[in-house]
Amino acid sequence: MTLAFVGGTHRTVPLPLREQLAFSAEQAAEALARFRDRFPGREGVLLSTCNRVELYAAGESDSAPPPREQLVLFLAECRGIDAGLLAPVLSGESDEAVVRHLFSVAAGLDSMVLGEPQIVAQVKQAWAIAQESRTTGPLTSEMFQAALRTAKRVATETALGRERLSIPSIAVTDFVSGVFERLDDKKVLLIGAGKMARETLRYLREAGARDVTIVNRTIERAQSLAAELRARPTTFDRLVTELAATDLVVSTTGATEPVITADFYRPVEEARGGRPLVILDLAIPRDFDPAIGDRPDVWLYSIDDLGRTCEANRKSREKQMPAAVVIIEEETRRFMGDLHHRWSGPVIEQLRAGWSETGDTELKRLFRRLPDLGEAARAEIRQSFQRYAAKMLHLPLTSLRAESHAGPPHGLLDALKRLFDLKE
Amino acid sequence: MLDFVSRISVVCFAASYAVALACEASRLLFRSGVRGAVMVGFAAAGLVAHTAFLLWRAASEGAVPLSSPFDWYLLAAWVLAAGSLALTLATPRTPIGLFMLPVVLALIGAATLSSREPFPQTPATQVWGMIHGSLNLAASLAVAAGAIAAVMWLFQAGRLARKQAPKRGFRMPSLERLFETTRHAMTVAAWTAAAGFTSGIILNAVNKQRGLLETVPWTDPVVLRMGMLVSWLIVAAVIARVVKQRPGGARTIVWLSLVSFAVLTGSILWGLFGDTRHGVPPVSPPAINEVAA
Repeated sequence: MTLAFVGGTHRTVPLPLREQLAFSAEQAAEALARFRDRFPGREGVLLSTCNRVELYAAGESDSAPPPREQLVLFLAECRGIDAGLLAPVLSGESDEAVVRHLFSVAAGLDSMVLGEPQIVAQVKQAWAIAQESRTTGPLTSEMFQAALRTAKRVATETALGRERLSIPSIAVTDFVSGVFERLDDKKVLLIGAGKMARETLRYLREAGARDVTIVNRTIERAQSLAAELRARPTTFDRLVTELAATDLVVSTTGATEPVITADFYRPVEEARGGRPLVILDLAIPRDFDPAIGDRPDVWLYSIDDLGRTCEANRKSREKQMPAAVVIIEEETRRFMGDLHHRWSGPVIEQLRAGWSETGDTELKRLFRRLPDLGEAARAEIRQSFQRYAAKMLHLPLTSLRAESHAGPPHGLLDALKRLFDLKE
Repeated sequence: MLDFVSRISVVCFAASYAVALACEASRLLFRSGVRGAVMVGFAAAGLVAHTAFLLWRAASEGAVPLSSPFDWYLLAAWVLAAGSLALTLATPRTPIGLFMLPVVLALIGAATLSSREPFPQTPATQVWGMIHGSLNLAASLAVAAGAIAAVMWLFQAGRLARKQAPKRGFRMPSLERLFETTRHAMTVAAWTAAAGFTSGIILNAVNKQRGLLETVPWTDPVVLRMGMLVSWLIVAAVIARVVKQRPGGARTIVWLSLVSFAVLTGSILWGLFGDTRHGVPPVSPPAINEVAA
């Protein structure tokens, strides 16, 4: 065994246990320092996100990675959890399965939200912490670099992470930007400040929105929310005036009846003078009478409208899964082939050195017998010997590489060692 | 090289634009990593051939742009094709060619149906002739640009009204930008068309005063259709200004722009198949001493 991992995700570890098991960046660094002392000579990387905690370990020959039980025990000790609780919920893999798993994780295939891009940054961060903690080595280095390369391939060659899946991001990117060219000269009105409104405001700010007004039943509540959200406070009695002046409304009140009825909107429409109005009605039940959406220059989107796009995007992402899996399989095979080929390195070096040494001896003998040869002729003969040696070695080396794709080429290596009398 | 350029025909660049248009249309059907490059390649090849054709005509036949109805239409098509390519390169995810290239192909089609006979000119009327032709060209292009933006506005508004997310790789400009383009194009079209018509009157008056070339009567079909077009464009621009700040004003302006394009198309068809004295050589050529004057 060269590679190993143990870990659990939102699918296998219950939330309370996952919370206990999670590592902050500092805790991860401390754990890796402990790993270095506990398993000297082994490589280790700890990946901890909201939805997963995974410990990757690697080592060769005498420094093979610790078995699953030891890794589980190590994690349990680091977080002060009973190992008996962790053992049934943490899974473990070795060698090729570890590579395939890490590549899937980095590409977002194993995420709660399929194809979410944040995981790439989290994998990079885990790798950086391990580097700082000096628990990385050639195996984990190559594996994590290959994982990031695979994630990039999946992102560019498939549309897995392209469609948005959150309602606020869909609202702003697909609909608000379809109406308005820019938001820095637009007025935004928040009616209520639920979680969804705050998240939408974050996207609006990113898109350039600056002029934000928040309306609430009481001025005190409006003021406190305005201070928190960097907005201008106002109260419900000014709603007609504010609606007449605004370009974009985000509404998330907890009202049980529509706050803005068609009759309420009529004077607003007259006062607006034909300017377009985008309404993101993210409340359940709805704050705006749906009939307002039929008025000219009004673009009204309810949470159901946006949810349908969300669902369509989710299905579209799922359709990209087979293409992403093909890429992960390709990259896993390539990585494992390269890994197996590493074992051939010493044998190849000895083979090359042997041929080179024999060639040099023969050349010296030849040049002694032909003392009249000029320097140019000698150089030409030397090059011919080198080309000959390279050509003779080409076939065995190609066979070794091909064999490596199927697994460690032990049989071929043994044969070469015996045929050419190579040392271990 | 010159032999190669001389063999470029209208079909060469029309075919390139048609392939570029087909590539743009295929965005609606499937995704492709190389389509963008193929589309830009064909559009650019078409534009290069188009440019070479116009330059060759100018060099070999003295047919400078705007010197005949044929060259006038080809120059209009060239401006739109260049605009389409520039916008495609600037915003690759916007299928601008899908809306602009049909107009380019229609103008090339109009060119093939129109006369290649140069407009009669004398040194005294050449400047007014150029001004008249350029302003009419600018007005027609403004009407076309406004209509293209208007069609895109309707397309985008339809998508937003149906509450559908944009198709991947098929992102349209915002309603705000399309509306502003349409509105400005309408204003530019009204001003340039009015100025073009006025310059035509002046050109006619110069011809009449000096007796250089045959004058165009007020009842000539070209004068009537141009007068009708100019009147409509001015009325449309005034209506647009009035309704701009009324509910539903944007949609009204978009439709006004499309009606303007329909009037322009009707005017062009009338010009292609109608009888006219506009741009027709004089019955008897002017005397040499008159031309020199």
